[in-house]
Amino acid sequence: MCGIIGCVGRPDETLDVLMHGLGKLEYRGYDSAGVALADGDVGGRLAVAKRAGELDALRSVVDHTGTADGDLEGSVGIGHTRWSTHGPPTDANAHPHTDCGSRVAIVHNGIIENFQGLRDDLEAAGHEFTSETDSEVVTHLIEAALDEGASPEGAFRAAIARIEGSYTIAAVFAGTEAVFAARNDSPLVLGLGESATYIASDIPAFREFTDRVVYPDDGEFVRLDAGGGGWTVSDADGEEITKEIDTVAWDAEDTGKSGFEHFMLKEIHEQPRSLRQCLRGRVDELGGRIELPEIEELDPTAVQFVAAGTSYHAALYGAALFRAAGVPAQAFLASEYVTSVPPIGDDLVIGVTQSGETADTLSALREARGRGAETLALTNVVGSTVARECEHVLYIRAGPEIGVAASKTFASQLAAINLLTLATVEDGNREVIAALRDLPSTVQAVLDESTAETVADAYADAGAYFFIGRGLNFSVALEGALKLKEITYRHAEGFAAGELKHGPLALVTQETPVIAVATGDGELARKTVGNVKEVEARGAPVIAVTDGRSDVERYADHVLSVPETHPRTAAVLASVQLQLFAYHTAADLGRSIDKPRNLAKSVTVE
Amino acid sequence: MSVRTAVVLAAGEGTRLRPLTRNRPKPMLPAANRPVLEYVFDALIDAGIETIGVVVGYKRDRVQEHFGPTYRDVSIEYLHQDKQLGSGHALLEARAAVAEPFLAVNGDRVIEPGMVADVMAAAERHPDAPATLAVIERPDVRQYGAVVLDAGRIDRLVEQPDTDEYRLINAGVYAFSPAIFDAIEDTPRTDGELPLTDTLARLIDGGESVRGVHTEGLWVDATYPWDLLTVMRELLARGRVDEPPEEEGVWVDDSALVHDDATLQRPVVVGPDCEVGPGAAVGPDVALGRNATVGANATVERTVLDADTRVGPGSTLLDCVTGEDVTLGADATVPGGPASVRVGSRVFEDQRLGAVIADRTEAGGDVTFTPGTLVGPGAHIHTGARPSGWIATGAEVLG
Repeated sequence: MCGIIGCVGRPDETLDVLMHGLGKLEYRGYDSAGVALADGDVGGRLAVAKRAGELDALRSVVDHTGTADGDLEGSVGIGHTRWSTHGPPTDANAHPHTDCGSRVAIVHNGIIENFQGLRDDLEAAGHEFTSETDSEVVTHLIEAALDEGASPEGAFRAAIARIEGSYTIAAVFAGTEAVFAARNDSPLVLGLGESATYIASDIPAFREFTDRVVYPDDGEFVRLDAGGGGWTVSDADGEEITKEIDTVAWDAEDTGKSGFEHFMLKEIHEQPRSLRQCLRGRVDELGGRIELPEIEELDPTAVQFVAAGTSYHAALYGAALFRAAGVPAQAFLASEYVTSVPPIGDDLVIGVTQSGETADTLSALREARGRGAETLALTNVVGSTVARECEHVLYIRAGPEIGVAASKTFASQLAAINLLTLATVEDGNREVIAALRDLPSTVQAVLDESTAETVADAYADAGAYFFIGRGLNFSVALEGALKLKEITYRHAEGFAAGELKHGPLALVTQETPVIAVATGDGELARKTVGNVKEVEARGAPVIAVTDGRSDVERYADHVLSVPETHPRTAAVLASVQLQLFAYHTAADLGRSIDKPRNLAKSVTVE
Repeated sequence: MSVRTAVVLAAGEGTRLRPLTRNRPKPMLPAANRPVLEYVFDALIDAGIETIGVVVGYKRDRVQEHFGPTYRDVSIEYLHQDKQLGSGHALLEARAAVAEPFLAVNGDRVIEPGMVADVMAAAERHPDAPATLAVIERPDVRQYGAVVLDAGRIDRLVEQPDTDEYRLINAGVYAFSPAIFDAIEDTPRTDGELPLTDTLARLIDGGESVRGVHTEGLWVDATYPWDLLTVMRELLARGRVDEPPEEEGVWVDDSALVHDDATLQRPVVVGPDCEVGPGAAVGPDVALGRNATVGANATVERTVLDADTRVGPGSTLLDCVTGEDVTLGADATVPGGPASVRVGSRVFEDQRLGAVIADRTEAGGDVTFTPGTLVGPGAHIHTGARPSGWIATGAEVLG
């Protein structure tokens, strides 16, 4: 899914309008973005800027070049934000694409099915391609038509007539104050302002400027002209079509959140779906097998994880799974790894990074590779830097995550790590395979029945929060504390439950709720219950996250329940409760949940 | 002016479908193996609707999460109805969202695009009518709203008539002019609720032209849990499923794993991520929802297994409806109808129903369900038990 925006009629603000629109379309994808602007000057040229990475990467380019030297000015423009499903997000593959002579720039959402044949023909005719995308053929088709003397509109139509597939395509031409667009099986909507007109993949892109919209149908062409030239919709033969103007009254601001108050809440609720996506085609329960052809040849004898933030907590969990399977494994903070690189030997080094662009993790992996290590990337973003640089890659397939605080990607990281150990170092652990297959529905059960909102309300004014757990639940405790820090700005710490008495217990008072994660009825749970008694004796309010198999509830003021399941999947369920707890606490405090202060979604600096 | 916007009413629980509606609203119950609401959206989009506003309330997370911001590239706008006070009240939630003539449809019944198109066309022919509704013929109109149609105008609305003089019913597909909102607000509440039909009746009584358009096509409604079996059968008979056909009447999603030694008997649909073990016989008239599992040597006929349900090896299920994430141990038996089914204080005689087993119920091995059993969500049925009648939410049923 990609997002398209176009604007005509705001000559002084074209760039701002495009950037605003791209921001609103981020929910459709954000692994690269770009803009192209044009004006009516004879001999004028196209101004194009595009960058792999999130919109901020483009924004920094634009901020540097957009004003003073007039590089990115124009009376008309188009923009694009991309979420690649195949083909890496590089600067070259980012849209807009231009032809050899930089006379036309296009953006495309969809798939051009016959692009290979067209590309072969065009290359044979001397056109030089600069990207690996299917989209670029359109620019060269247009160029070819221009060379034969066609007008911009004629050339655009000629190119569209050649392509097959699903698309919305928009184009601008050097020296022409107009935007051209066509759609087939991809969304396109036209916005009509006072003196400006817009096109976009979705209404939020221009909702701030107008509520009057026109919906072109499949097979129709749109032309927006500057200078009061207005707009036309026509069919493939150029016959103008009378379109009705609709008014959108609803607040399209929230469209991308699909009725949820925040992206984070939406993403928390998406976890059953994103987990299904992660597991799809990879779990054969009746056959007792995991199918991961992409890492078939891996047979690690020892493992080092490198990661940062939430991904580091997933790495801690992963290292514990490998160790339980008898494979030496450790998790390292990526930024520390390079300062004191452990002996690598034959270790497989696994980088866990949602975005695939985390600078600390990339540099740790490079360090390891430089010392001869085999590397595996565990990431959400297809074609990201980490995916390109590592020998092996396992995608967690969680889909785009907009909220800065990770939620669904953490759950999918844990699920993918289970797939990884089952496929490489565990032999047919049927119990875990069954529990994994049940994971989406058990997460749904947590979402349906969670009382985290009520519990959060009771402690929204606490001064500090402590999270404790043992074993796999230690990583859950750390992640629970990080979530709370990130979105509530409150002090929170996660501790290994056994470590409390070695110091942190001094912090515990009646004002500091302790959230204890105790699942199962084994020794770990029993010992955690012992630690709960310690804090309970100091008068701290206790919130137990439990499946009810231990007697922790007896010492707890509140209980957040999870269904009984395997300890490995119980960790995922417990972390969902802690996400909801952090979310509702932050909501009570009125925080900027989707964009917490000082934080960015992917940290591309060391 | 053509109609481009539709408002879908999907805020209600559907209390007569309990216990299946414990965790989701009626529009999200399975029609074959997809939510009813997907069929409604499909019908609207296929008829040319370009924006959809959906009024959500009871368990709205489930609707919002399922569809997200767009469905088939059409924007979905969610309008919140905090209290469920009738269909008229629900429609008022969309007031700020529509300025032009619009469609309104119930989100809990499977409809076809033709009905939607018929209403849109009729509304365009009579732009002055404040309301136009689709009317269909049914052999038995007693549980629906009957209408009397005279030369394209609705003469009378009779809710759940107890005589058999009527044969036409209100299909729940409407076109309205924005004036309907004032009319709803002017309608006095009945027992605190505002049913849309009260407003329509007032318009008719006031001499306004409420139009009806006689239409036909698939129209299936689930009033009681066992009706989901009929809905499934109707959809499979017409091939109205999404999964790719493996052979005539057998649809299997690409991600499903069906053992070579299992038998699928048409019509049957197997959803994504399902697993069917060796020796299992599934069908005819079976819909397996997403990620359902049928163990080795199990027999499943005339049954809807909703998402994530597991049927243990050697089980036999006939005329059975499960909710999500139900687990039945080895050798479970649902021998099938006919049965007397008790719902609240009513008893329905001679229903072809084996059992209705709601979300997250777990049964041990060798459990036999007496025909007509309704099991509430989250029940634990112990090995060897013989549940019957109505089993409460979270109940323990001992062997």
